[in-house]
Amino acid sequence: MDILNTIISAIYYLFIAFISVLIIYNLIKTKDWKKEVIYIVILMPFLLRLFFLK
Amino acid sequence: MKTKSIIRKVLLSTAGLVIVVFAGIEFYQHRHYKETVVIGDWVEVKKLGDYFEGIQGSVNDCNVFIIEGDEPGATSLILGGSHPEEPAGRLAAWLMVENARIQTGKLIVVLSANRSGTTVTRPSGAYPTKYTIPTSWGGQTFRMGDRWSNPLDQWPDPEVYIHCPSGQNLAYVDIRNLNRTWPGRANGTLTEKTCYAYMQLIEKEKVDLVIDMHEAELQYPVINTIVAHENGQELATLVSMMLTDFEGFSIGTEFSPKNLHGLSHREIGDHSDAVSLLFEAPEPFLDATRGITGEKQLLEGKDEFVIKAGEHGLLFAPMDENGWPIDVRVGRHTSTILQTFESWNEYYPEKLIVCFDVPRYAEVIKNGIGFYLKNHEEADNKTIVFE
Amino acid sequence: MYQAAGIVLGVMVLIYIISLRFKLSTELAMLMAAIGGAVSAGHWFPARHIAEGAITYLDINLIFISATLFMNILKESGGIAFIIRSIIKTFHKSRVLLLILLMIILLIPGALTGAGSVTVLITGGLVAVVLNYMGIKKIRIAAIIFLIAGLSAAAPPVSLWAMMTAAGVNMPYVGFFLPLLIPCVLGALFTIFFLGWKGTKIDVDKAFKELPSPPEKMNWWRIIVPFLIFFGLIFIGRKWPHNTPIVGMPLMFLLAGLSSYLLSPKKLKLFKISADTIKQLLPLIGTLTAVGILVQIMTLTGVRGLLAIMFITLPTFLVIGSLFVFLPITESVLMYGSAAVFGVPLVLLFNTMGLNPIVALAGMSIIWPLGDALPPTAIIGRLTVDVVGPKEKYSQFLKTCLVPSIVIAIIGTLMVIFSKDLGFLTGI
Repeated sequence: MDILNTIISAIYYLFIAFISVLIIYNLIKTKDWKKEVIYIVILMPFLLRLFFLK
Repeated sequence: MKTKSIIRKVLLSTAGLVIVVFAGIEFYQHRHYKETVVIGDWVEVKKLGDYFEGIQGSVNDCNVFIIEGDEPGATSLILGGSHPEEPAGRLAAWLMVENARIQTGKLIVVLSANRSGTTVTRPSGAYPTKYTIPTSWGGQTFRMGDRWSNPLDQWPDPEVYIHCPSGQNLAYVDIRNLNRTWPGRANGTLTEKTCYAYMQLIEKEKVDLVIDMHEAELQYPVINTIVAHENGQELATLVSMMLTDFEGFSIGTEFSPKNLHGLSHREIGDHSDAVSLLFEAPEPFLDATRGITGEKQLLEGKDEFVIKAGEHGLLFAPMDENGWPIDVRVGRHTSTILQTFESWNEYYPEKLIVCFDVPRYAEVIKNGIGFYLKNHEEADNKTIVFE
Repeated sequence: MYQAAGIVLGVMVLIYIISLRFKLSTELAMLMAAIGGAVSAGHWFPARHIAEGAITYLDINLIFISATLFMNILKESGGIAFIIRSIIKTFHKSRVLLLILLMIILLIPGALTGAGSVTVLITGGLVAVVLNYMGIKKIRIAAIIFLIAGLSAAAPPVSLWAMMTAAGVNMPYVGFFLPLLIPCVLGALFTIFFLGWKGTKIDVDKAFKELPSPPEKMNWWRIIVPFLIFFGLIFIGRKWPHNTPIVGMPLMFLLAGLSSYLLSPKKLKLFKISADTIKQLLPLIGTLTAVGILVQIMTLTGVRGLLAIMFITLPTFLVIGSLFVFLPITESVLMYGSAAVFGVPLVLLFNTMGLNPIVALAGMSIIWPLGDALPPTAIIGRLTVDVVGPKEKYSQFLKTCLVPSIVIAIIGTLMVIFSKDLGFLTGI
């Protein structure tokens, strides 16, 4: 059970990393400064979790 | 145009990164801050993992402090930090570990029952990450915590939490709530394993009496009270009477509801031979109507908005401009523990627990908590334990 | 304290209004208001509070992202077109049966996930197409989907408003099933028949001519397997909760999406679909993140307490009598945060008054989602309008929602008033 739980947790962190990449990709692509701000704001919680900070 | 856009993106990203870095440093420092406990040579320190290897090496493999008297008697387990957002429980346990001497019986104290919960504060709660208790040497700092285990230690949550073994449905976050996961599971989540480890401790140490210390918002009906499993109802009633008559503060008793599962006062009593009690002290900091949130409010327990709620009859505990300072809340807990031991001795004279050198309610208020905390800077390294 | 919190509240409101005047989006306006509020309270660089608030709804955002990704994969593979064709073919003869079936299809995703947006994203588009062929105006379709999506979010087993409030008052999430189910089903039945009864008979030939054709190799298995995986994982988690690991809602959707991707009869560009999903959800995720920051700053500065104490100390008849307006308004600003900020003191107030807290909270839980169509956030409302695509103005959409909304609000308010008498529904 412990191994399965660890694998599931690891998948969640991978998912978080994937979403972070998608947000950064969209941030680079967008031309609207308002959307840029929102992309940066929504990226923060994903980075904090990805780096085991929060 | 393109260059302008790139510069803008870089500037905005830098601003975001600065926030993440500064916040991240504060989160990291909070999670890894080492609190100090100064113990006497009569105190034995074990780990929770000594009782259940499934918890060994984890964040919840916390210190278990054991103080044994010369004469055999009853064994009592005191739990502080089941809900680390309720600091009076932890601080009362701290005073016990650093001051208590046992003549008869055995005292087992845990300062961070859910250690994971002491390493995080609640999102949207605006809690301070730490608080400092003033002392003669300047002050001692403690981690402020949350009601739940840190998601960094237990993630993901289910869509609904189904309690084991009752099968009762609870809010999904409560799978990280130590006082909803009793009696725990050996192959469960970190929080469930932690409860399981305590159940193993209770069994292996032959614990007779478990006391779980909490605080509650004043708008919550279960407050200023001892919640007792049916096996401890008479004891709790006697303690309540004695405290009200002789200590200058009133405390009620509540019976542990039989259909409310996962709580220590219900499950420890149901799944072990120990008598289980839970103490609640008032903490205005937890009220949803609280005003400016911060360390000052946490320690002084003063709040105009909570007073206003009281004027409209919305509180279950009295509240005035004096508030509920931390010294008062901790003093209530220490006196209630000591009175519980004294009342226990009346009921079970063949199995005594005799404890001394722990300050009572009036003494804690008069001298302050800091007076009873030990200065780690002057202490011998061998006597310092990191929590 | 009143003065200090009052000044911060004033600053926040002012900045919010000015930001909207300068054509900033609602989520940016909330962010500006939060930062302005913090600075006016003397917190010059509230980095920790911004970050801590921003992470509040991380798990809910993960559910939104994974669910929408799953639906987008299914859509791109031609699965949605296949399902719509099949429903029309099988049920076009009975309007009553079709409406009830569509209502159930709308209720299930939100009931299981606790999120109305998941209903809109998973089944909303599909149901909208069928309702369109039933001769119902798009504006009415949008209203049906929005209102039932809201009720689905409040419906058991997972009602986040009830769960968050219950957790906030240390009350177990027990006894809510019938008090939530009955009003949600009643409200949904009224909504779909009131707004969807009038219409025309389905012209099957016309519908089949207009609907996109799914790829030739598409079949029921390719569609059912991902849903079987999703519902199977939920079932396993509920049936054997203590012998299986915790999968969590986002991973369930991810696994369903992955199977849909692998079973797709045509090759799909996964990265592009994923990036478009984030783009599509930007307003929703942005709003939830901004709300988290706003609530954190409001709590820090005492504004949250000020608003809560002002409301719960009103005369009782005003508190209960204004729930139907107050709860949706707070929802429109704070979304789920409203349960934590206002739900908790309200339930404690009702408990003090001797009302049944479970039934009262269930009643409140069906009123809350009505606010998801109201500005400033209007998240689910905007999402629904985007999915359905009516030509009328947004205000017309709100007008269409009005009558069923009033009925739902009355049901909810009556549940609060008569909660003591309805206590038997809890089974406790």
